[in-house]
Amino acid sequence: MNTNAEVTLQTIEEAARTLAGHAIRTPVETCETLDLLAGRKLFFKCENFQKSGAFKFRGAFNAVSRLVRSNEPTQRELHVVGDSSGNYACGLALAARLCGVSAHVVMPNNAPECKKQIVLSYGATLIQRERRQDFPQTIKQVQEMTGAVYISGSQNPDVISGQGTMGLELLQQVPDLDAVIMPVGGGGMLAGVSMAIKSICPDVRVYGAEPEVANQATLSLQNGERFVYSYVPRSIADGVVAGIGPVTWTYIRDNVDDIFTVTEDEIKNAMRLVSERMKLVVEPSGVVGVAAALSDSFRARAVGFKNVAVILSGGNVDLQKLPELLLM
Amino acid sequence: MEANDVVTLKTVQKAADTLSGHVIMTPVKTDETLDLLSGRRLYFKCENFQKSGSFKFRGAYNAVSRLVSSNGSTAHRLELVAGSTGNFACGLAMAAQLHGVTAHMVMPDNSPECKKQMALSHGASLTLCEPAAQDIARTVNQVRDATGAVFISGAERPDVISGHGTMGLELLRQVPAMDAVVMPVGTGGMLTGVSVAIKSICPEIRVYGAEPEVSNCAAMSLKRGERYAFPRFPQSVADGLNGNIGKLPWTYIQRNVDEIFTVSEDEIKNAMRLVWERMQLMIEPSGAVGVAAVLSDSFKERAGGCKNVAVILSGGNVDIDKLSEIL
Repeated sequence: MNTNAEVTLQTIEEAARTLAGHAIRTPVETCETLDLLAGRKLFFKCENFQKSGAFKFRGAFNAVSRLVRSNEPTQRELHVVGDSSGNYACGLALAARLCGVSAHVVMPNNAPECKKQIVLSYGATLIQRERRQDFPQTIKQVQEMTGAVYISGSQNPDVISGQGTMGLELLQQVPDLDAVIMPVGGGGMLAGVSMAIKSICPDVRVYGAEPEVANQATLSLQNGERFVYSYVPRSIADGVVAGIGPVTWTYIRDNVDDIFTVTEDEIKNAMRLVSERMKLVVEPSGVVGVAAALSDSFRARAVGFKNVAVILSGGNVDLQKLPELLLM
Repeated sequence: MEANDVVTLKTVQKAADTLSGHVIMTPVKTDETLDLLSGRRLYFKCENFQKSGSFKFRGAYNAVSRLVSSNGSTAHRLELVAGSTGNFACGLAMAAQLHGVTAHMVMPDNSPECKKQMALSHGASLTLCEPAAQDIARTVNQVRDATGAVFISGAERPDVISGHGTMGLELLRQVPAMDAVVMPVGTGGMLTGVSVAIKSICPEIRVYGAEPEVSNCAAMSLKRGERYAFPRFPQSVADGLNGNIGKLPWTYIQRNVDEIFTVSEDEIKNAMRLVWERMQLMIEPSGAVGVAAVLSDSFKERAGGCKNVAVILSGGNVDIDKLSEIL
């Protein structure tokens, strides 16, 4: 597969050209109530409006698109396979369909129903597994049967470059940006966006945000080396419980200013605020950055910051579960 | 237009000036899935993003603003009272607060909790009553007698209706190829204001109302050729539309509206689910009624020639705890 080995400003700008006309250049919204609560102007990048309901589509489409281009000479029928707690599966399924490629996605049994439904609705093959430990073997089986190319949802450089396009858009959409905050799970978004922003405006601070119970990125930064839990933490922010990967770690270590952690209640509170005040459908993982922006630890750090962008990473949530998700 | 019309293009344009910088010029969004389902290009006017969570703020702000101006130095002593199924109470409470004026709201006791809470959060006093037109009217009069408050009718007051009409002006600019617009109708204020704005400038654009089948007084009135009113409010899931069309709106609706489409409770719920899940927008059931109409078979039969249809998502004030009941 002809992937760029590295993620650079150039690969991100190339990704932007690939995504143009395919990914949505999502709007940035503001809300006076949240500004008051945060003590500064917040700019919400609405990736809940992105195709397939989350930013993951960007990286997936960039990777699949490049794969198709490099495959053209061979005329071989293409299959792709990926593993995902949900949103990358949705993004990969749609990207594959749009590019005329077959997709196989491996998801945990307990992934949100709506994400499984979205994957199926895009015509991808869905394989569910009880334990994440079984994913690598399942992927291998798919590859043996179909010759599918494995595209990691967070470690593949083309995927990371695709996510980085949000950084380019933010710099264009938000003048006088002081800082950007975004959720971090596998680290694809944080790696790509931090590379884009630091390459162009190194003065803009780049922060990650994660649940306290899934604080692998925080511990990694503190220790100076990548750390992952041996188990999968449980958080209502189901999309960000994975630890950061080896590829994304190097970019995060070099480009990210800090990571903030938030409690489950802070995430629920942020969900309620964004839903009720902004009338946006967002998922818990999607508002982890909002929770961080409203937290005491961020406020202590953000003295003097006037304009902070927060990425709302996705909006794929089971509506039936919403009431319990918001109960504190 | 008739010579002694109280809602005209001019009153709507004046309202737009008054509202400029105070109301949100809400975005228009599109969605490929909904286009596919409806068989045409849809343009959703997102009034769920409006201040106080629904378009009602427009009319409320215009009315309060003009009232305050005309009261000059005594304006700070003004008190207002209104009866509302919910969103007008929220809009008026917020508009009153912004003008430093006291507001008293009368709402049916079965109004969504979030609407009651929002009115209170903007400093309005709240009196609950039975969900029936007579009870609301009686309670409003009681409050009026007790406080000397000025009654602001959400359905009949021309300033309110003109404020709502500003959505029509915005749509003409935001959707240049628009050949039809569809919106929910309860008391008919939005339909009146928007139809006046649009028909005055582009009379060939179709203006359609959308109503729940169980709360179809506008459709029935059009059919009978005279205004029909339910004595006791129907109970559609579209709680904001459970009132009757007003007398003033009726006179305009007869002239300006091309058709009213009615939709079932299931169609409303389905439309709401689609907008939440596909567009990631929080809208309330009443807010989904226009969407339901445009997806319905009767729309495809009778308005099938319309290719670029604007649909007003009127509001997003819904009790999330009740979501599983609603959907």
